[in-house]
Amino acid sequence: MSGTSVTAGIDCGSSAIKVAIARSHVGEGGELLATSVQRIRRRNVHDVARAAFGEACAAAGVGLPDFAYVASTGDADVIDFATGHFYGMTTHARGALHLFPAARGALDMGALHARAIKMDERGKVLGHRMTSQCASGSGQFLENIARYLGVPLEDVGALSMQAKPVEEVSSICAVLAETDVINMVSRGMTAGEILKGIHLSIAGRLVRLLRSAGAEGVVTLTGGLAADVGLIACIRELVAKELAGPKKKKLAPIEVCAHEHSILAGAIGAALLGAYRHDQLLKRGKLALAAGAALAP
Amino acid sequence: MTDPAAPIFERARALVDDYTLGAVKAWKAAHPGALAVGHMPVYTPRPLIEATGSLPVAVFGGGDSLDIIRGDSYFQSYICHIPRSTVELGLGGHLDALDGMVFPSICDVIRNLGGMWKMLFPQKYVAYLDLPQNFDKDVGGRFYTSELRRIARELAGRGARTLDADALLGAIARENERRVTLEQLDAVRRAEPWRLRATEAYVAVRAGSVMPAEEHTRLLREILAAVKLRTARPVDNVRVVLVGSFCEQPPFELIRALEKAGCDIVEDDFQLGMRMIDGPIEPCAGEDPVEALSRAFLERGRASASRYIDRNEKGADLVARVHACAADGVIFAAASFCDPALLDQPMLEAALERAGIPHTSFKFAENTGQFQVIREQAGAFSDAVKLWGPAGAPVAAQEASV
Repeated sequence: MSGTSVTAGIDCGSSAIKVAIARSHVGEGGELLATSVQRIRRRNVHDVARAAFGEACAAAGVGLPDFAYVASTGDADVIDFATGHFYGMTTHARGALHLFPAARGALDMGALHARAIKMDERGKVLGHRMTSQCASGSGQFLENIARYLGVPLEDVGALSMQAKPVEEVSSICAVLAETDVINMVSRGMTAGEILKGIHLSIAGRLVRLLRSAGAEGVVTLTGGLAADVGLIACIRELVAKELAGPKKKKLAPIEVCAHEHSILAGAIGAALLGAYRHDQLLKRGKLALAAGAALAP
Repeated sequence: MTDPAAPIFERARALVDDYTLGAVKAWKAAHPGALAVGHMPVYTPRPLIEATGSLPVAVFGGGDSLDIIRGDSYFQSYICHIPRSTVELGLGGHLDALDGMVFPSICDVIRNLGGMWKMLFPQKYVAYLDLPQNFDKDVGGRFYTSELRRIARELAGRGARTLDADALLGAIARENERRVTLEQLDAVRRAEPWRLRATEAYVAVRAGSVMPAEEHTRLLREILAAVKLRTARPVDNVRVVLVGSFCEQPPFELIRALEKAGCDIVEDDFQLGMRMIDGPIEPCAGEDPVEALSRAFLERGRASASRYIDRNEKGADLVARVHACAADGVIFAAASFCDPALLDQPMLEAALERAGIPHTSFKFAENTGQFQVIREQAGAFSDAVKLWGPAGAPVAAQEASV
């Protein structure tokens, strides 16, 4: 019985829980019914996940029995009522495609890691690269620096955009980068200049990541850092610089796009893939799994 | 509702984590004069050791909780990890409760470890058990039977009971009961993997490595009863068979990482020795039980990299197992530098490809502490199988220091 289904995607990140509820018709994509984003902020992550899910359900006017599939992504252990789990890379690729149907690449910029993804027109991952374990270049690092500088997170992008580039910080190691920032502060550089330096450093690393993954064409920015206009400006600036530079003939054009729902890309992708998977399960007669969501506590 | 199985698994996990062999010491205290005999993977016929009144103790190295200091000086850098940590355990006195060690034929490294053990611990009993690679009962069978009798005789020379037919028949019967219970546990895992996770099944089997078969059967029955009481519901994961970990064992957290990546491991070759014989060992009327033990290995020993298999059949057993447990794909998880597993892998992969079964592979060491890349790879594999079917080629995870 293929057709319309209501599904949820819950993206359990390291700093926030994102929920998307979608109504999908297999083969035709889906429409978002409601979303929710809740920062964890040292709260019990299970409680935050349930609260975010409840908030989205209330906004969409649906209850648990209405869901055909509840898909988790990110940390699988957090959601004990999911029908199934999809890996972050897959869900970000699918979410990126939903936000920009022309996208053939995604750049997931999360709190702890960044990941460049190359995908096809279905959202199937063709290749990817991710940053190594060092926290430099991650959202958590940027958040820490903003706190040290006394800058509200929402002002970081605008301050950076107003500043002129002075110097970059280390893009290899968070400890070295923090040392660089301390030096910058002691030399009297403004918060905007420091943030610009950090953004340029992170952007350089991310553009190299995109290139090494072989991404080309439209690339959707996803994850929490996709809301940072300062970082987006730096990424665009570096891509444009590359394409105007001596290697321009060897480089494929890249168009970087951000969406107001970029932070929700993983959750959106999970919800849409859940609908697709639900349809597959029905076609294969795996009714027990297909009914999994309805059994949720 | 609290998990009725949790306290049992906690108890089992404590046994697994205790590389100082507290349970073996307690058994010896309760059985004065009896021997505890360690044995390395892959397969040692435990009923033979039990029939001499001794406790067989499976030794799987030091895992991820032991710092290797002295062990590294005994092996080159291109040798796997389990012999290093086993030497470390021995030199650190953690295996002092063992009166002897049996080194079955797995590979050259374990054979050499047996030789080293003789020199390092001259006061202990050390035996190399050459498992037959010729499965004709008049050739390999005759050889293997004489090997088993030799070991029983040598153990008796060290103070164990002299082997007699009745004692061995009893030990075989207890082993068969354990085997039946293990099969019941596997059946639950295959039918309802969300009711019994692979990590839990792993702990349930591994706990039996330091106790007699009868006691292990009791523990397994307790687990079976408890997991059936669990309130569980289906979870949409991919079903995988995991192969390559028959000797050095992956860290517990690695198995957990695979599960978290959306894989239900419904069949594996972890601790293969505990399940080496397919089905019960059934002595024929009037048959010498030592010969029955030998015949079971010859006729129904499971295919593994340490057992000779005709070239034309390589991988056939794996394909059959994938079909039997309705798995969606195969994960090759071999220990780094494990020659038997890694030499077999291309042939097994070819068999899977002929059968259209998706697969992915990675390597580990027993003390691997970082699983991010493996998690990426398993997650990509799980999603590729789940969403795009067997035609969806798995995407290799790659980490770049960019």
